[in-house]
Amino acid sequence: MPQIEFHGVTKRFDNGQEALAEVNAEFAEGSMAFLTGHSGAGKSTFLKLLLCLDQPSRGQILVNGVNVTRMTGGRLAHYRQHLGAVFQDHHLLSHRSVYENVSLPLRISGMREKDVGRRVRAALSRVGLLEKERLFPRYLSTGEQQRVGIARAVVTRPKILLADEPTGNLDPELSRDIMKLFEQFNQVGTTVIVASHDRDLIESMGVRIIELDQGAIVRDGVDARVDPRSHESAERHQTGLPDG
Amino acid sequence: MAEGATGKRRSKDPWPPVRPGLGAWWRDHLRIARETVHFVSARLGTSLLVWLLVGIALALPAGLFLLQQNLAEMTEAWDGRPGLTAYFDLDVDPEEIDAAVASLAAKSQVEAVRVTDREAALAEFRAFTDLANALDLLDSNPLPASLKATLISDVSLEDLEALRELADGLAGVAEVVVEKTWLERISDISTVVSRLGVILGLLFGVGAILVTATSVRLAIEARLEELRVLRLIGATERQMRRPFLYFGAFYGLGGGLVAAMLISLCLVVVEAPLSNLLGSYAQELDLVGFDPIFLGSLLLLGGALGVVGAQVAASQRLKDLEIL
Repeated sequence: MPQIEFHGVTKRFDNGQEALAEVNAEFAEGSMAFLTGHSGAGKSTFLKLLLCLDQPSRGQILVNGVNVTRMTGGRLAHYRQHLGAVFQDHHLLSHRSVYENVSLPLRISGMREKDVGRRVRAALSRVGLLEKERLFPRYLSTGEQQRVGIARAVVTRPKILLADEPTGNLDPELSRDIMKLFEQFNQVGTTVIVASHDRDLIESMGVRIIELDQGAIVRDGVDARVDPRSHESAERHQTGLPDG
Repeated sequence: MAEGATGKRRSKDPWPPVRPGLGAWWRDHLRIARETVHFVSARLGTSLLVWLLVGIALALPAGLFLLQQNLAEMTEAWDGRPGLTAYFDLDVDPEEIDAAVASLAAKSQVEAVRVTDREAALAEFRAFTDLANALDLLDSNPLPASLKATLISDVSLEDLEALRELADGLAGVAEVVVEKTWLERISDISTVVSRLGVILGLLFGVGAILVTATSVRLAIEARLEELRVLRLIGATERQMRRPFLYFGAFYGLGGGLVAAMLISLCLVVVEAPLSNLLGSYAQELDLVGFDPIFLGSLLLLGGALGVVGAQVAASQRLKDLEIL
């Protein structure tokens, strides 16, 4: 069974604009995929719906077989605790140190202090910022801030990691480093879905690419030219194996 | 956590709620309390203003409550010494006076009976009024003999009425006056103050809630970014609301403390003139009600109103919170 399933998902805003149109997609557990497309193609909406930050106008999103689109209250909160999310503008808290920012999801889940420290340092070590745990985000470079955001997203060891334009403000070298980090998390079994408009970067990664245009999937495969309706491609997506 | 879900439970609920232990719950509360103190002390000017506003809102009804308590106490104290005075006919026989004294003195509610004859009444009248010259113009003494019955301390109003009827029926008695006018007045004032206290208590209670709600709303606005992040990473509504309930409680407790200080200040200011006033009625000033229970209740009430205000503000604002 796929870990994540989009079934006929449409998102239409109040002004009539259609951000997603009848989207069908599946992601196997432990797979990695990039969402790409022009600005306004529907990449961020795709991730927002998966994070339940918005509700689809039509269709179902199943995660581990559960329709997450109508979840509310404590159930929704618990669902989000099991996801990791990274954003272009980091969403770091400026008045809290790097350590405090990264520890936030663990504190919410009520983890013991000594375990929190161990987990936070492990996550910071993974992103190469262990020595900066006492600093406040304003003293970090943009790339470092993004890595703190990633550390916060992975500190709970989520099964699914979502990233929306995580390299949007970074130079090519830093962007590649960030993508390598996502690749490493994927290699330990985390399902990773990254929205990015940087075609050169994502094509160099050699993983599944889903291209959106005006809310519809126009291409789906390792090679961006692969048609999503091709039998082989669909089969590979369901198993989570990269094409080719 | 993500890794904590067992395979068996995942089939039922892929995202089982994490149930932190008592220790984690306690640590979370301690952390929030620390952060609240930090937040409030970092905005001391605003916090003082809120405390003052809540304090004034609480002080007025609480002060009225205290006043009502003291009036009730005063009524009770005076209740112990009501009197009954029977005025005799001008031509009453001395035997009739003796009989009246004997009838009343025989009653268990009567502690003592004192007779004032006509001459003594005239002498008292001369001594206590400026009308002595006017009396000289009269042919005869116009004042009747009277008797004053002092009653036991715990006589009820029903017993008082029964004694009045008894005295009224005695031979030679022209008029009976029960000295309960002051009691009735104080009781009426106490009722007015009590009702005023309830009305003002409700109005100012709502005022205190609104003041706290507005202040907490400002605190929420100042921490919107943090709330968005908390919601994004899976904080429950309760976890997000908790810091603001602490704010409310903190503002309310501070307000209660200010109210206690204001009432205390008022008592210091009115103590001397009130003591003089009561002295003129042969009473000693003995304020009741301003005790640790009252102070504790005031603090608790302030804290509770603060929490209610915070709950109102947090529920409203968090409901509409857009994450991204």
